[in-house]
Amino acid sequence: MAAGLVALAVLFLIVAVLYAFGVIQIAVSDPHASHHYTHAVLFVALAVASLVAANFARPKRTT
Amino acid sequence: MGLLQGATELFPVSSLGHAVLIPSLLHWKFRTSDPSFVPFLVLLHLGTASALLIIYRQQWVAIIRGFFTAAFRGQIKSDSERLAMLLLVGTIPAGILGVFLEHELKTLFANPKAAAAFLTINGFLMLGAEVLRRRAERRAAVEGKSRVAQEERFEVAEHISFRAAALVGAVQALALLPGISRSGVTIGGGLLAGLRHQEAARFSFLLATPIIAAAGLIEVPLLFSSDVPLVEYLAGALLALVAAYLSARFLLRYFRSGRLDPYGWYCAAAGLASLVLLTLNS
Repeated sequence: MAAGLVALAVLFLIVAVLYAFGVIQIAVSDPHASHHYTHAVLFVALAVASLVAANFARPKRTT
Repeated sequence: MGLLQGATELFPVSSLGHAVLIPSLLHWKFRTSDPSFVPFLVLLHLGTASALLIIYRQQWVAIIRGFFTAAFRGQIKSDSERLAMLLLVGTIPAGILGVFLEHELKTLFANPKAAAAFLTINGFLMLGAEVLRRRAERRAAVEGKSRVAQEERFEVAEHISFRAAALVGAVQALALLPGISRSGVTIGGGLLAGLRHQEAARFSFLLATPIIAAAGLIEVPLLFSSDVPLVEYLAGALLALVAAYLSARFLLRYFRSGRLDPYGWYCAAAGLASLVLLTLNS
């Protein structure tokens, strides 16, 4: 579960970079724009959330 | 405009709906296509977000600290840590829907009849939330007690489930529709999640802050274009801050014992009246 969430975070980061450089033009308001920073920020936030969730999901050592 | 936006942003009456309907009904001519209009809206929203940050400054310090502590530890051990994670979960659906549906929803902005219809729906949504809440009060057997005593039987924001936080966050995205009030639907959602009215309002305002601030900050570069009258716009933002601060203070006090009904009836009546007037005028 935790490993899957880390992989998801990496995927979100890649998508964020692709949106930031205008490589991806899916569901954007201006398909001719060279950057989609709003989408990039969203995917960075999703990557952070996935990493947080991964940390919650990892097995904890009991003391 | 600053006073109007700041005051109506937090009241559950849809600031966006009023911004679309009132100019149309009064035949005002706004040049929303003007390049400096978006920076103006950005500053007004930053003013509103600043007011919320001032009101909840101590809570935000605890929430941010709680977020990093819980995130690095991988465990929740305090109320502020739980609230931080609830806000994270609640912000994600609104963020996703807001970013991906923004363009489609903005096409409705030019349609005052749609705004009037959504304002009516917004009113009935709030009234429906109160009907369900009264049913929950009957189940909790708190009828006949004072309103404050009734409210105490319900939860504080830190104790709702993560699923409920995600649902409240998802309904927040409905506010992209002109006529649907962000605070109205999130307070209504909070009531359905079992929150006290005042706590539903607090959760709604806390949930709004990152979205409003992020939406504003992303557009900040637009402010530095040469044809933006920055001083006048900053004055508008300051007025929005003052109005939002006073509105939030009023609403938090009102919801100690007050309900959503008056706002629900107002939205339903105003929406229906606007729909009739717009139909007769066309």
